Amino acid sequence: MAVTIRRLEEFDEVESFDCGDAPLNNYLQRHAWTNQQKISIGVTYVALEQAAPRTVLGYFSLATSSVPRERFPKKYVRGLPPYDLPLILLARLAVDKRFAGRGLGHALLSEALKITLRVADEVGCRCIITDAYRDKVAWYARYGFIPIEGSAKNGPQRMFLDVRTIRVAYERGDTTR
Amino acid sequence: MPSAVKDKSKRASALPQTRAKAPKIKFQADLAPSEDLMVRRLKAELEMASNSDFLADAVALFRWAVSERKRGHRIVSESTSGERKVLLFPRLERVAPELTLPQAEIAWTAAELENLAALATGKPAEPTEALIRAMRH
Repeated sequence: MAVTIRRLEEFDEVESFDCGDAPLNNYLQRHAWTNQQKISIGVTYVALEQAAPRTVLGYFSLATSSVPRERFPKKYVRGLPPYDLPLILLARLAVDKRFAGRGLGHALLSEALKITLRVADEVGCRCIITDAYRDKVAWYARYGFIPIEGSAKNGPQRMFLDVRTIRVAYERGDTTR
Repeated sequence: MPSAVKDKSKRASALPQTRAKAPKIKFQADLAPSEDLMVRRLKAELEMASNSDFLADAVALFRWAVSERKRGHRIVSESTSGERKVLLFPRLERVAPELTLPQAEIAWTAAELENLAALATGKPAEPTEALIRAMRH
């Protein structure tokens, strides 16, 4: 299956998308385009098959965020630069259940992490954060995401991946060397 | 050659050459009469005596604008009544990153912030095999 990943476009076919999770389906079908183009609160990237280049098979959404330095506990402030901590939020990642098990999630996360590195190079960011469903924590952990303690027990698990770790992985993943 | 000048140059050659001044580069520009008038008016408004000072300040301002756009920041002027205008300058737009992601607010608990600070200030973890595979290029 030849898959391409690009930014969501206005006439992409999203109505048939079904990942088995109503809020994730609803976000893609009702909010992703508006949030990206009109109110600029998140950018959505979609996976499409070459044979049906408008039908969305999977997606993820990214936004930037930052934590004001003064919000960190005093004992850590000395180890931090005198600025807010910039980060990227992987807000959503979902794969249509008809295409599950074909490596689409891996391809989407791979693209999200490569974008994170490019953003880190161009505008600066320290880490990528995601709020993972509890049953997906192990999947994210395989890629090195570390649970951030202190999340509500019945809600999603906030997870952290350092940009420095991603950069080392990128250097080690250089197949052209 | 007058003797004073001769003497000075002798002394100069006897000094170690470690403090040689960086040579100054001459900057020349062809200006249309209207542009020349504009420069003169600006210099007068800003009470600048020399073209060098004018150029140095202009370069500093331009450099700041370029660095802001490179970080994806927009340059905005705000009037006293709160009306905002965004500076759109084609040459500056060329340096703006293609990847400008919107800003989102994230709610953090105190415990999460403490943990985040510990992770962000600590030694980065080694990448996992799955991460290295994901980053192949």
